[in-house]
Parts: sequence; structure tokens; C-alpha cells
Amino acid sequence: MNTQKQLLIIDDDPDYVAGIKSVLEKAEYSVDVAYNPKDGFLALQSKPYDLLLLDIMMGRGAEGVAVARKLRKDPKLRELPVLIITGIREQIAFLFPGQPVHPHFVELDELVEKPVEPKLLLEKVSALLKMSEEKKSQKKG
Amino acid sequence: MTIVITGYATVSSAVEAMKNGAYDFLPKPFTPDEFRMITQRGLDRRRLVLETILLRREKEMLRENFAAIVSHELKSPLGAVQQNLFGLEFELEDKLNEEQKEKIGRMKSKINDLINLIHTWLRVISVDVKKLQENFQPTSIPAVISKAVENVQPQAIRKDIEIVPTVQEPLSLINGDEGTLVEVVGNILGNGIKFSREGSKILIKAEEKDKNLTIIISDSGIGISKEDLPYIFEDFYTGDIGQIVEKSSGLGLAISKRIVEAHNGSISVESELGKGATFTICLPVQ
Repeated sequence: MNTQKQLLIIDDDPDYVAGIKSVLEKAEYSVDVAYNPKDGFLALQSKPYDLLLLDIMMGRGAEGVAVARKLRKDPKLRELPVLIITGIREQIAFLFPGQPVHPHFVELDELVEKPVEPKLLLEKVSALLKMSEEKKSQKKG
Repeated sequence: MTIVITGYATVSSAVEAMKNGAYDFLPKPFTPDEFRMITQRGLDRRRLVLETILLRREKEMLRENFAAIVSHELKSPLGAVQQNLFGLEFELEDKLNEEQKEKIGRMKSKINDLINLIHTWLRVISVDVKKLQENFQPTSIPAVISKAVENVQPQAIRKDIEIVPTVQEPLSLINGDEGTLVEVVGNILGNGIKFSREGSKILIKAEEKDKNLTIIISDSGIGISKEDLPYIFEDFYTGDIGQIVEKSSGLGLAISKRIVEAHNGSISVESELGKGATFTICLPVQ
């Protein structure tokens, strides 16, 4: 049984979102969008998603980090795989120059930088979905 | 702001007073005018000092804010443009002819250059020396060198260039930041690779002498002309090499110099056109 995967994007730049939404939809994912953390949380509570695409830099600062932290605390959402899409490397680089950055906010997450090549985006999404499936079946078995 | 008023008026007592921090000296007896004049000068000076402190603080805030502003306000729209270009190319894959694909390729490339340029500018502005120094740790130079060599290995392999390290062990630890030092060494090695012929060698040596560690990186590439040599560590200087070399934003060495100096070290270069270049980084031991 292969149901269509449900993706949620939380990102405050509608122009940017348009760029990736079409790519994801062309690959037959169902995509919802929230343009701020608050709406994002409402969306997450409203239905079960298979993957979250999360922007770090929203609003005045790194509001995406707060979202990630909340996810970690919520037992229902903790297992949700998250693809962190960010233009933040330079910001983090200033604090930790010279080191590669992978924050690991939640258990299953990956990091891609804006802008992201469509092929890479789809690769990461499918890899995360696959890992998440494997984890779920491990638990059931 | 201290003005010394005394009945014991000699030049030597005036000098003594100034040595001990007085701004000015007013021997008795003095007229109201003299008093007003000296006091006014003192107040003016104090005002200037306060203004300087304020301006310095503003400059620092501006620098920090500028980085944040440029980062989000300039890079965000560019990122969105690029993302949509990517998306368009992806969607129209089967419908575009070769020429159209080429056009998109050119747009992507230019936008990518812009994004990288902004990125590099931010790095120059944001080498925050104080923050860097606050987080200094005992650092091993052999480790820095091996990490930097590892980072540039893919570039070196592509041009069939061999990097030969000679690290005199054991070396004392220095007080510093590994990440940025790896960046500096990597930057110089990268330049060496860029400007060297295929199949050549780049030597990197590390030795200790008189409480100083020196890292010497030498290549046998196209070298740097006498005219360019004095300016090579300045922001945006790309020189007038007159040969087709890979593009450079001219900022790598400027950033490297800032990082080395934040470590209380020095960086210098010797070179002759056509005869390669030798960079020397000198860092004080802990």
C-alpha cells in the first residue's frame, strides 16, 4: 500500500517556497505550507505529516530553532523526520568558523543549504522518508 | 579629567603632575580668564574622548548588524531567485532546447557567483577578533596542517599536484582557534594549487624556534610580481597577473591575515614572477 506522502514546509519566504514546492509536487508528494512558526505548529497538530521541511532563519532571528526544540519535546512529533533548509551556514560559520555544521536538533534530521538543487532536494527527502519507514517497521517488529 | 592647581609652580612639578595623569596645569596666582581657558580646554578634550568611545561602539554595532542585515536581506532574495531558476529548469527539462538550457546555465552561474561574493564579504567583515580570542584553546599545529591538507586534497588531485608536508615533531601547542587556522592554511594551499602547473609539488613545513612556530608553504607556480607583492594581503586585491588563472575574489588572503594577527602572529610572502611563492606564518607559542 503506497499512500502519497504528506510534506509540510515551514518557511517565511513565499517566493522561496514556490521554488521548492513545485519540485516536490512534480515528484508526487502532497505539500502544505506554513509561513510562520505559529501556523506551522497548528498545521502539525492538524494532521499527521511524513516529513517536515524547516527553515531556520525566520522573522527576527533563528525562530526555526524554537520549532525544532518543540518538536523534540513533543512525544507525538519527536519521530518526525526534518529536512532543515537554511541560508544560515554563514551565520553558524561565524560562531564556529571552519567546522561543518549539522545541528542534530531532532533524532532524524538532515541539513541542506538554500538554494538547493532539485535533484539533491528530492534525494534527501526520499532518504529521510526511507529512514523513517525503516525505524517505524523496526519498532512494530 | 584632572587639572592641577598649585602654588608651587615649576616646570618640573608640572611635568610630574602630567606624568601622574593630570591633563593640564594651572599655577597660582591665575586670572579668571586663565582659569576659564584651561578648564574649557579640559572639558573639550573630555568631550572628544567620550565621542570617540561612542563612535567606536557604534562602529562595532554597525559592523555586527551589517553582517546580519546583508546576510538576510541580500542573500534571501538571491536564494529565492536561484531556487526558482532551479525549479524552472527542473520542470522544463524535456521541453528546453540546448540554447535555452545554456541560457539558464549562465543565469545560474552568475547568481551563484553573486551569492558566493556576498558570502565572502561577510566572512571578511565578521572575523570578530575579540570573539575569536575569547575562545582560544591549546591548539596543535600538526593537526591544523593535516586537516588543511585533507581539505584541499580533492583540488590537488584534480591537478595532479602533490602536497609534501615536513612537520618537525614534537611541536609546542599554541593558544588559538583550530578552525580558523585550518582555514588560513587551507586558503594558502588552495592558492598554491590554483596558481601551480599540473604535476608540480607544494611543500609545507612546520618548525619551532625561539618560542615561535613557523609554517612555511612554498609552491613553484606562476609567482607574484614585484608590483603586486606589497598589496597582496589587502582586501579585494587580485593583482594583474596577465595569464588566465582561476577567478579569485581577492579576499582569502585578507581574511587569513586578520586571523593570523588575531593569534598575535604574522604572515609574509616572498615571490618572484615565474618562480613560485613562499608564504611564512609565524605564531607565538603558548
